[in-house]
Amino acid sequence: MADQIFKAVILACTAFIGLVFLWILGEVVVKGISHLSFSFLFDAPVNSGRAGGIAPILVSTLMIIIVAVSVSVPLGLGVAVWLSEFTKQGQKFATSTRLTLDVLAGIPSIVYGLFGNAFFCIYLGLGFSILSGGLTLACMILPIFIRTCEMGLRTVNDSWRKGALALGMTRTAAIWHILLPSATPAIIAGLVLGIGRATAETAALIFTSGYVDRMPESFMDSGRALAVHIYDLSMNVTGGDHAAYATALTLIILIVFFNIMAQFMMDQWLGRKVLSS
Amino acid sequence: MFVNLKLVWLVTLLFFSSFSTTMAADNRLVITGSSTVAPLALEIAKLFENNNPGIRIDVQTGGSSRGINDARMGLANIGMVSRALKPAESDLTPFTIAMDGIGMIVHKSNNIKTLSNAQIIAIYKGKITNWKQLGGSDLAISVVNKAEGRSTLELFLKHFSLKNSQIKAHVVIGDNQQGIKTVSGTPGAIGYVSIGTAEYEEKQGTPIRLLPLAGVSASVRDGVFPLSRPLNLVTKGKPSLLAKRFIGFAQSAEVHGLVKNQFFVPLKP
Repeated sequence: MADQIFKAVILACTAFIGLVFLWILGEVVVKGISHLSFSFLFDAPVNSGRAGGIAPILVSTLMIIIVAVSVSVPLGLGVAVWLSEFTKQGQKFATSTRLTLDVLAGIPSIVYGLFGNAFFCIYLGLGFSILSGGLTLACMILPIFIRTCEMGLRTVNDSWRKGALALGMTRTAAIWHILLPSATPAIIAGLVLGIGRATAETAALIFTSGYVDRMPESFMDSGRALAVHIYDLSMNVTGGDHAAYATALTLIILIVFFNIMAQFMMDQWLGRKVLSS
Repeated sequence: MFVNLKLVWLVTLLFFSSFSTTMAADNRLVITGSSTVAPLALEIAKLFENNNPGIRIDVQTGGSSRGINDARMGLANIGMVSRALKPAESDLTPFTIAMDGIGMIVHKSNNIKTLSNAQIIAIYKGKITNWKQLGGSDLAISVVNKAEGRSTLELFLKHFSLKNSQIKAHVVIGDNQQGIKTVSGTPGAIGYVSIGTAEYEEKQGTPIRLLPLAGVSASVRDGVFPLSRPLNLVTKGKPSLLAKRFIGFAQSAEVHGLVKNQFFVPLKP
């Protein structure tokens, strides 16, 4: 009897979560699909985004993500490898690094936005630019990315490390050819989480990459991200709701696309190593 | 594989560092401030850029306080402020580009037809807590107030001689659209938003209703509203030649269509 109640409760929880997700998705699809078209994706916004499309905003978003990912992936993998492979149990510096990362992961994104504005835009003189926005996002996704990758590396069985040592592999070779490839699922998870968070970010970007909806010409131009555009349309532009839903739908499609891409690229990049060496 | 990765990283670094060339300042304007003015300023800037090839105007948002601050610090050539300047801000020069009226809104199902100033004050101070006390239905009043730092809040407080600490708010909101969404989703709510926005949403069938203020029913078309604010561009000291030209353009009759598109009221010629 207790077993059945337990099962029913668990099922109810699952159904509830699924329903909420479907509701959100359904609402965005139903309200956004009528406004979404090829010209919406390839035109510049007109009349504060009520008409026209989102082409420059889409391009800015992609550029911001390129900056964020190309900075955070090498840095993050480096720190994760150091934390899991090069530190001793209970080493003070490593413990405090982990603690710092965990605290940083929980900080609201607006704090990153203000930091990014003060540090990248004003102190480093990058101004409102896609570069400032991308670097701010990199700071924001690094803690989660590092911790996820570290966990992935830690779960690799120790006998693999000993085996590599016994075969006379250098530490570098062992990490590169054995540990990193076997931690691929965790690295992908970290990357997908990071990109998802970056793409959906408003608060960290409004003060760093900015509000300009012109087609960006370089990484030093200010460029509006999709999430900032949605926020502005729904909160600030009277009569912009249709365009907001269509933009939200585009954002969801983009995130799904990125997740598939990340999976594919990681498979290609890391999966081949084990075979080719 | 190692070399490759290093190479990619190096190229990426070079790629980024090559962008640090600074732009010539005389063909570029930075405008920051009020999120209410930002969409309008952006549209005016686009038209100005079209008329003057080679000119770049970057509009950034963040609120009126930011506009004041950035104009003062020299971080922006022009600040956007959606209220009249205060005496403490006399170091800045305001240029009004449009007017915005503020109106009280309630949910459409609310059968209250009008409220006196005294009644509005009592509601916001928490002395009247149910619509029943004003002759309406038995429904608790949800007081919707604006967040600290918003120009609409300051205007509202000044008009009704209230202090923000006296207000017993149930919901604190930021932008106009958020106000509309909150009130349209709460049958007992009362709030105040930009009249142009409220009129548009009422026409679109959003369940809200504008209340007349002190017996005057507000309307953007007639330019009649007891509670109004100027939308300003502000500069510190003498504006640069380009800034001056842009401000002149933003005040001209050429942009009246753009002003109306944003549901604001153009300046009388």
